[in-house]
Amino acid sequence: METSLPFYQPLTPDKAKQIDRTGRWILERVGIRVYSNTFLDKLKKAGAQVDYENERVRFDGDWLDEVLRRAPSRFILYSRDGRNDLHLGEDNAYIGNGGRVFRILDMATGGYRLTMLRDVAHTATLVDHLDNIRFYVIACQAHDIKPVNYHLLDFYYAFNHTTKHVMGGCDDLHGVQQMWNLATIIAGGEDKLREKPFVSVITNTISPLTIDANTLDILNFCTAHGIPVSCAPVPIAGATAPATLAGTLSQMHAESLAAVAITQVLAPGAKVLYSAIPTTMDLRTMELTMGSVETGMMNAAAVQLAKLYNLPIYTSGGVTEAKRPDIQAGFEKGVSNLAVVTTGADCIRLTAGMLDSGNSISYEQFVIDNEIIGMLYRIREGIKVNEDTLGFDVIKSVGPGGNYVTEDHTVDHMMDEFFYPNLSVRCNFDVWEERGRPDMLSRANDLVQKILEEGREGLLDHDLISEIKKAFPGSRYI
Amino acid sequence: MSDYKALIEAVIKGDIKTAVAETQSVLDAGSNARDILDKGLIAGMDEVGERFSKGQMFVPQMLRSAKTMKECMKLLEPFFQEGDITSKGKVLIGTVKGDLHDIGKNLVSMMMEGAGFTITDLGVDVSPESFVQKAKEVEPDIVAMSALLSTTMPSMPRTIEALQRAGIRDKVKVMIGGAPVTEKYAQEIKADSYASDAGSAVSKAKNLLGVS
Repeated sequence: METSLPFYQPLTPDKAKQIDRTGRWILERVGIRVYSNTFLDKLKKAGAQVDYENERVRFDGDWLDEVLRRAPSRFILYSRDGRNDLHLGEDNAYIGNGGRVFRILDMATGGYRLTMLRDVAHTATLVDHLDNIRFYVIACQAHDIKPVNYHLLDFYYAFNHTTKHVMGGCDDLHGVQQMWNLATIIAGGEDKLREKPFVSVITNTISPLTIDANTLDILNFCTAHGIPVSCAPVPIAGATAPATLAGTLSQMHAESLAAVAITQVLAPGAKVLYSAIPTTMDLRTMELTMGSVETGMMNAAAVQLAKLYNLPIYTSGGVTEAKRPDIQAGFEKGVSNLAVVTTGADCIRLTAGMLDSGNSISYEQFVIDNEIIGMLYRIREGIKVNEDTLGFDVIKSVGPGGNYVTEDHTVDHMMDEFFYPNLSVRCNFDVWEERGRPDMLSRANDLVQKILEEGREGLLDHDLISEIKKAFPGSRYI
Repeated sequence: MSDYKALIEAVIKGDIKTAVAETQSVLDAGSNARDILDKGLIAGMDEVGERFSKGQMFVPQMLRSAKTMKECMKLLEPFFQEGDITSKGKVLIGTVKGDLHDIGKNLVSMMMEGAGFTITDLGVDVSPESFVQKAKEVEPDIVAMSALLSTTMPSMPRTIEALQRAGIRDKVKVMIGGAPVTEKYAQEIKADSYASDAGSAVSKAKNLLGVS
């Protein structure tokens, strides 16, 4: 994506350096707790300083730099049809939804309910249709399926309803193996999946400064099999990180770098994103506030920190505390999106579909966010300035008092200079009245109905589904 | 029979140069002017209308296609008797006395011209007397008035009265529009029609004259 935008830097270069230095001190002097002797051994063998008694790994600065240099600064997260490949590390911004919430605002009933497997299918269909949402994160938990085949099913429903790149969390090694077996069948073999991975796995560190054995097993499996990974700390300022933003960023930076370094010890060159979702807490009540303005600011700053290491960055934006797609949702999303998108992040997640501090989704919010994200891409493109766009010749030829409507210059540029919204009100007042004064939510609901009714049902072909059934006998949901 | 594919394509694209050259070439090849008009230019404009209504074309493209057709018509006109080709109607348009705003009025002019009306634009700050004088001269089907300010709106009924005094009120239809103008106001001052924007001005004008 060509952009004239000088990327927004929430920190001056020397302040960013101070945070980076503090993060590195944390890794050198405090270290990360790793709950697994197997991985402590691996890290020790690779040259990290390991304190077995306290399950602590410390990262000497030079060693850290050497390990981090193995991480690719650019790679591709593939889509299955090649139409939405995500080229990371090339100054592109790709914006997606967020994952594994447990509640949905159901417009059919007007109330909230627990999310089900069908919501995975529906949200995947929505993302598949909504052009601006460029990848799909398995959006919610399926309360109606048992743990035994959980990740077989949630990934299957995702793959069957979108060809965009799918990301998802896995509960354990068993789950990630299940996902990989499924993806291998769909890819047509292990080598093909490794060559063009159309799925990646999301993991998290535990703030402060801990990575558990389960996460390491998943990272180990994925990096060994060429599945791209992210491992994001989610520090909460004032609770699991210092109450100061700089302190939270320093600790987050240490955790993010440690996660990247560990993947490069496990499999040098493994595809990994520097990931971060720094958040805050409302200390008046101890409510987690992922929709706070400081969350937006810190996610923007995380991008700047990742760029110091030339790593593709996976951050978040557009989260709101609002429980419905309402005024609060609009302005909280707007403010945080703007802070994050202008920094030059590669992947931004949580931006589509979420409400309620990342705990709920709404189908309508997906289509509303699709429109907001369209505006964000427009901002990222910036204002194109060249001889043609400056328009001297056309200004000269139209002259004072004329108009530009039918000029070649207008027709040549009208498609690529402007973002054309689908949902927002732009008609004149009379037309708006004639249409019955439609509001955003009612229009969003209409669009959701249309997409779900027209939605391509079952993207995987029948032979493939038979093969999957054969490989996983006994699952009644496939 | 000639093939008008290239001409139709050029009209849809609003490519004046190619369309004019194509018109000349099919004329030179011996095509009948009525045939060129119906199966070439009008067929192209029908497609433009179709695409525009589906949102596949934008206003500037539609207007350029109309302009393209107009340029091609210049080549065909000598082959037609007077009265063979009629415009959708003649429109006399202006921003009323005391008001200097012309963006909306210009958009309406442009859209109406694009739709096939013949426009006489009196510009801005047009007095009732000027409207009357010009109306006598060009004998329009529609007199269209625009105002952006609530303070200049009373010029509209004054112009209607002037048309009445001159004895031509019943020979023309009066259309009004502009930001503060409403349907209700149009009824109050006994105008024949009100349009809220440039697009609806075209359809209202067609309705008034019973053309499509």
